Amino acid sequence: MGRRWRAALVFCVCVAAFGPGCSSKKTGAGEDTTGAGAAGVGEEGLGTGGSLERARQGLSPTEGGPLQDVTFPFDSFDLDEAARATLRSNADWLKEHTGSRVEIEGHCDERGTVEYNLALGAKRAGAAKEYLVALGVAADRLSTISYGEELPLCTDHGEDCWQRNRRAHLVVVSE
Amino acid sequence: MTRTRLLFAIVTLLGVARGLPAGAQVRGTILGPGARAYPIAVSPLKNDGTGGADIGTRFADVVNRDLTLSGYFKVLDRAAFIEAPESSGNTTESIAFEKWSVLGAMALVKGAYAVEGDTLTLEARLFDVYQRRQIVGKRYRGSAEEMRRMAHRFADEILAQFTGARGPFDSRLAFVSTRDGRFKELYVMSLDGQDVRQITRNRTITLSPAWAPDLSALLFTSYKRGNPDLYMIDLMTAREMLLSDRRGLNLGAKWSPDGSKIAMTVEDNGNADIVVLDRSGKLLRRLTDNWSIDVSPSWSPDGRQIAFCSNRSGSPQIYVMSADGGEGRRVSFSGTYNTSPAWSPTGDKIAYVSRMDGGFNLFVLDVANGQARQLTQAAGNNEDPTWGPDGRYMVFSSTRSGRKKLYLTDATGATQVQLTQGGGDDSSPAWSRWLD
Repeated sequence: MGRRWRAALVFCVCVAAFGPGCSSKKTGAGEDTTGAGAAGVGEEGLGTGGSLERARQGLSPTEGGPLQDVTFPFDSFDLDEAARATLRSNADWLKEHTGSRVEIEGHCDERGTVEYNLALGAKRAGAAKEYLVALGVAADRLSTISYGEELPLCTDHGEDCWQRNRRAHLVVVSE
Repeated sequence: MTRTRLLFAIVTLLGVARGLPAGAQVRGTILGPGARAYPIAVSPLKNDGTGGADIGTRFADVVNRDLTLSGYFKVLDRAAFIEAPESSGNTTESIAFEKWSVLGAMALVKGAYAVEGDTLTLEARLFDVYQRRQIVGKRYRGSAEEMRRMAHRFADEILAQFTGARGPFDSRLAFVSTRDGRFKELYVMSLDGQDVRQITRNRTITLSPAWAPDLSALLFTSYKRGNPDLYMIDLMTAREMLLSDRRGLNLGAKWSPDGSKIAMTVEDNGNADIVVLDRSGKLLRRLTDNWSIDVSPSWSPDGRQIAFCSNRSGSPQIYVMSADGGEGRRVSFSGTYNTSPAWSPTGDKIAYVSRMDGGFNLFVLDVANGQARQLTQAAGNNEDPTWGPDGRYMVFSSTRSGRKKLYLTDATGATQVQLTQGGGDDSSPAWSRWLD
């Protein structure tokens, strides 16, 4: 209990003193304290922080950002034409922002087994990274992490929600 | 904040008082879990000392709960009992058996206890009401707060006498739960849902607990440094030790039955494979090496084989391979999504989860003949099977009542009882072996 309060307090002081750009965490390139999502708040290229870091700060995961999410069918890590088009557009952005580094998060919907979904999320993140590298983005600018079904964007139980959760989410971790 | 107390203290079994003679038969028919056929009365124990006034009744409560969970017994209502513990004896000669037979009791538990200082000495006896004789008696000594363990041990003994195999209740369940916050944290509890202890407070994703064979520690995966790394927590000192922090997944670790090795899933460039580590987390051997998902290793009880989940055929299926690696043999053949293998401690069965018609259900595979039997149906998603130490029961998670909660079932699926209640989701149960 003590630790939780301390963490919350540190976060509040940090926001109050330095505004939304303040974060000592490596993945916390920017904080959206309104919960409105990245698109309307950040400067171009300013990410909203990784999904785990956001969760630790009591914030929900975000969709998109400067780079668009890639979605997948159930139990699949295949990149269809829409996914490849999204990644081509993401690759263009990355080529314009040559100093940026990106973490690719692999996510799954809630159905199925925790461990298998973590492995599937790793496949999804890996497939997105592989395609970006094939398009000419330097591999050392791209890291991957799987969150499986642990950090869903949407928590309803139905395909409308699930399809948004089966995704590779690209987080800009530094400019 | 340090949690230095023992998770389970020592209960000494002092003696066996006049057991059933070898070859003697218990009268009555035990039909099996789910029949709830055998009527048993558990009397509150008589207080032979001065302290611990409610211990005798609480002991009976714990035994009653375990016997009910077992599915073999019809536990009789205490309100109807005629013979009061304080004014009656606990021997064949001094018990008025007709006061129990008139209630329909075929078996009877009576006994006595005394508290001296912090030491509880407790004696419990099981009687055959119609033959008017003692089947078994046990005397336990330990600290007063170990009363519940004594009750679990005696319930296990009752099952041993009536079914030929020791019951599973003197054991613990580890699991993860969101009951105290948004993140899954690690907990340990008794099978009856009591003695709940929170083990981690890391405020990050915590996954896949697994018991050390000597029950001194748990393995688990935590994102506390950002990456899903493997940790071990010592249950005596509450100290967490980082065992494996390979980039990517360090997931689903399971100790070998002899405690010498750990099987685990690791990741290379997005691809999950199964490896074996030594006890300190050093990589010993890669067991699978192909471009498909290989995940969730489960050791056979002799430590010679490993069941696991692989999508090498295009969909996740259950396979068995040598504990030294090599080609896997596919053992699940129906359905397009089979995961979470759990090898039973008796070696003859592998439980797993199968997706069908959009839902998830438990199946049990007979290793010898390859036949699979469905245990759960049409009631939420049923996942995460883990076997009890006797190989007769499993605990699993289910959404049948809304939030994900833990349930107990026997290996046929006949008796399915909810173990956890309240808020949050409970999942990834890991059932220990017996505590002694």
